[in-house]
Amino acid sequence: MVRVERVRYKPVGVRDLLIEMKDLSELMIDLAYSAALFDSPALAEEVMEMERHIDTLTYLLNMNVMVAARDADDAESLVGVTKVARAADKISDAAADIAAIVLQRIGIHPIIREAFENVEEHLTRIGVKPDSVLAGKQLGELELAARMGVDVIAIRRGKKWIIDPEENETIEKADVLIVRGAPQGIEEIEGIAEGTIRELED
Amino acid sequence: MARQKLFKKIVDMLVELKDTSELMLDLAYSSILLNSKELAEEVQALEEQVDKLHTDFALLVLSVGISPEDSKDFLGLIRIGVVTENIADAAAQIAEVVLREIKPHPVLALAIEEAEETVVHVQVSKESPLVGKTLRKAQIHEETGMWVLVVRRGGKWMRPGPNLKIDAGDVMIVSGYAEGEDDFKKLASPAYSST
Repeated sequence: MVRVERVRYKPVGVRDLLIEMKDLSELMIDLAYSAALFDSPALAEEVMEMERHIDTLTYLLNMNVMVAARDADDAESLVGVTKVARAADKISDAAADIAAIVLQRIGIHPIIREAFENVEEHLTRIGVKPDSVLAGKQLGELELAARMGVDVIAIRRGKKWIIDPEENETIEKADVLIVRGAPQGIEEIEGIAEGTIRELED
Repeated sequence: MARQKLFKKIVDMLVELKDTSELMLDLAYSSILLNSKELAEEVQALEEQVDKLHTDFALLVLSVGISPEDSKDFLGLIRIGVVTENIADAAAQIAEVVLREIKPHPVLALAIEEAEETVVHVQVSKESPLVGKTLRKAQIHEETGMWVLVVRRGGKWMRPGPNLKIDAGDVMIVSGYAEGEDDFKKLASPAYSST
């Protein structure tokens, strides 16, 4: 059974909703291609989770747009906003279609790997274990880019997504990090998140 | 065509489908940001191109002679082709808002400018070190982290090939992470200050 969230109106800025939808949908394309490239069900699952989230955001955005329209002029200019939101939703669906190829074990032809190998940056999904040294630290103090050449491009905390997190964002245990970087750095950050590497090297 | 050559062609087409669909998305958001019909028309033209390319791609994949045990792998390949076309369609839908002469609501421009990956357009001033350089020599991505999407000279949009020489007065539309925006503006127009 597909679980579908109940959506109730709440006042949210249309601009914020649009930014979140645009950011998420673009991140999803990158994640989905990476999931196919590395044949990674874990990444594909994240894409599916984001897709459901964008569906919810689309409802919220449409509700808020409807409430915002006061007259015919408003309606004319706001219809473009819903159109763009629908396009972002469509992009997220397209990304989910790639994720489904991975999850349904349809098959990743070696051609796909060859085609995307040089194009894609390496992206991966990492769960932070409770005893990892990452838990409780701010992103800024970890200096991951300088230390191992990786960037945290998104954090999932329960059902909430933090895209392009700020330096002062504190990593919590059980966070899921979406990380971009060279394979060697990715391996290192995976060890640190797992708790098998206990110290950050300079 | 030998099988090897056929596979090479399939890879090339898939890369082109993927790259074109993502370029279209950036151009579509730019067309809204600038309320530019020309750019929106460019997106529509690319959409037709992707439709055709996608058909050729699917036909080529089907022509390689697929054995039953390979069929699942090839299904994945065909589905990814469909995905690139869907992304291209979404881009065309965004651009359509401009072509219908719906004046983009201010909230759209705000959202596009503030998103993590932003699109900016800057006119190259005559003092810029970019003037007279080819895009290959200009090293814009290396210097600023921004990618050049399209260049406008006079009334014409030009694809950013590596041999394209930058002139003063060119309008360059670039995309990338917001951090690179100021660097690019300073490079293209040294009089620009971030304040």
